[in-house]
Amino acid sequence: MFELTATPIDPADRARRLASPEAGAAVIFEGRVRNHHLGQPVTHLEYEAFDALAQAEGEAIITETEQLYTGTQVHCVHRTGTLRIGEVAIWIGVASAHRAAGFAACRHVIEEIKRRLPVWKKEHHPDGAAEWVNCTTETATNPTLTAYHTRQASLPEVGAAGQAKLAAARVLVVGVGGLGCPAALYLTGAGIGHLTLVDGGHVELSNLHRQLLFTLAEVGAPKVLAAAARLRLQHPAIEIKMHQGDLTATNARALVAGHDVVLDCTDNFTSRFILHDACQALGLPLISAAVHRFEGTLDVFQHGTGGCLHCLWAGRTATELEPQENCAGGPVFGPAVGVLGVMQAAETLKILLGLAGTAAQQTRLVNLLDGSTLTIERLARPDCPICRRLDQLPAPATAQNSELKNLWITAAQLTALGPTTKIVFLLEPGEMAPSGGRNNFQAIPAHDLAALREFVVTGPVALTCRHGLRSAALARLLRAEGLSDIYALKSL
Amino acid sequence: MADTPLQLQIRFFAVLREQAGCATLKLTTAARNPAELYAELQKSYALTFPANLLRVAINERYGDMQTSLSTGDHVVFIPPVAGG
Repeated sequence: MFELTATPIDPADRARRLASPEAGAAVIFEGRVRNHHLGQPVTHLEYEAFDALAQAEGEAIITETEQLYTGTQVHCVHRTGTLRIGEVAIWIGVASAHRAAGFAACRHVIEEIKRRLPVWKKEHHPDGAAEWVNCTTETATNPTLTAYHTRQASLPEVGAAGQAKLAAARVLVVGVGGLGCPAALYLTGAGIGHLTLVDGGHVELSNLHRQLLFTLAEVGAPKVLAAAARLRLQHPAIEIKMHQGDLTATNARALVAGHDVVLDCTDNFTSRFILHDACQALGLPLISAAVHRFEGTLDVFQHGTGGCLHCLWAGRTATELEPQENCAGGPVFGPAVGVLGVMQAAETLKILLGLAGTAAQQTRLVNLLDGSTLTIERLARPDCPICRRLDQLPAPATAQNSELKNLWITAAQLTALGPTTKIVFLLEPGEMAPSGGRNNFQAIPAHDLAALREFVVTGPVALTCRHGLRSAALARLLRAEGLSDIYALKSL
Repeated sequence: MADTPLQLQIRFFAVLREQAGCATLKLTTAARNPAELYAELQKSYALTFPANLLRVAINERYGDMQTSLSTGDHVVFIPPVAGG
């Protein structure tokens, strides 16, 4: 239940209404008006809400919270109008069978309200001055966060510039289990700005010994929802997108597009091959890990560098390779997935910071029983049909069907299409924009699909990039989405 | 020359390590390539994992089951691993 009210909140009356015979716990949070903000004295507040929108968003938050914390019943009342110091601005009550879910749900509601509810507060100061504060941006721009990355940014290999790269980065984590939990947690701590989580599963009790983003309170909850809530507590400025569902051959390319680095934290070869092929086609680095009991493997796949997953398995299919025991039921040593997941986070940060070295040509084997690690050189097989096929993709001369012929365009042909054409150069992380020499030339980060879509609205767009592979693949993907005015630039 | 036994260092990974009961071993063998070597190990260590689903690394580089081995080579047998 969510309510906006202009009249004073009576906490005793609200608490009585929360009573329920099934509830062994009632957890109540009161947000009150305080007499200072960011060192400035405050005399009173005015709250203003965008009523219809705030009501809908408030209800969505309650529904999501009750889904996240099974068996909770959530009541929330938010004030509008003028409030004096000490008055209750927001009242949240959660009735639940047990305390763990109650406390967690109550915390979740206030965090999401602060983050999402379209409410503005006007702070009145003793000198008569007043200013509006948007409650939803207050958290992310909290000045107490400035020291958050000091110890990391003081590494000469990172610095302020590296930290800015991490904040701009978009990272996809597929699978929020034993590998995905530690990987996402360390990426969040490092200050990755945008994280996408993909997982169709729900938290189970047997996950908890190794999937440390989750506690007893989240058992039964969708994993992506529970993980996002926990990660936001770790770093309030992070932007998290969720895909509550499995990765499939149909959705893989669309999920992968728009990211800078992809983490394979899946637990089966079918998903691994699908994800690998989507990343290779779009030219994105994939950091893949897998664990068997006390041991694990780590591979960094980067198109054009080292062998691909098909080189590695030389024609074996996912079905043939699927081990008898898998993560769903097999025995797992918790620290093994922990170590491998954290190694995936480390490789991700290294790629974004330009520190990856030769990682993309290697498999690393880790054995936690005897403490050994082994690095194996993973070269491309000259007879690999997949590597060769992908290499041929961007070459216009090999285009056989009409879709491909139609996709490639020269700068002159593009200009002939109309007065408002654009050549867009896709930048990889850390890459400097080349000088275009034309006034319709523009360079944008490769992950900025929103900007691309806007360009296409104003006229035909030809994509290009350093190798021509990523831009061609993206053009093909956007064509498949129905954008017909997008082309891949044929170099002269 | 071709009949000289080879002295090799072997490392097993994951399910193979469990079946063999050890991670590393040193061996003197008449096997000339990883396929022959694995067939011999299958007998002496009762390894049930099928050879056609294995990857092999020789001296820290992936090779294939027909690559010729030399004395002193370090051979790692790696079965598919998928858990996460």
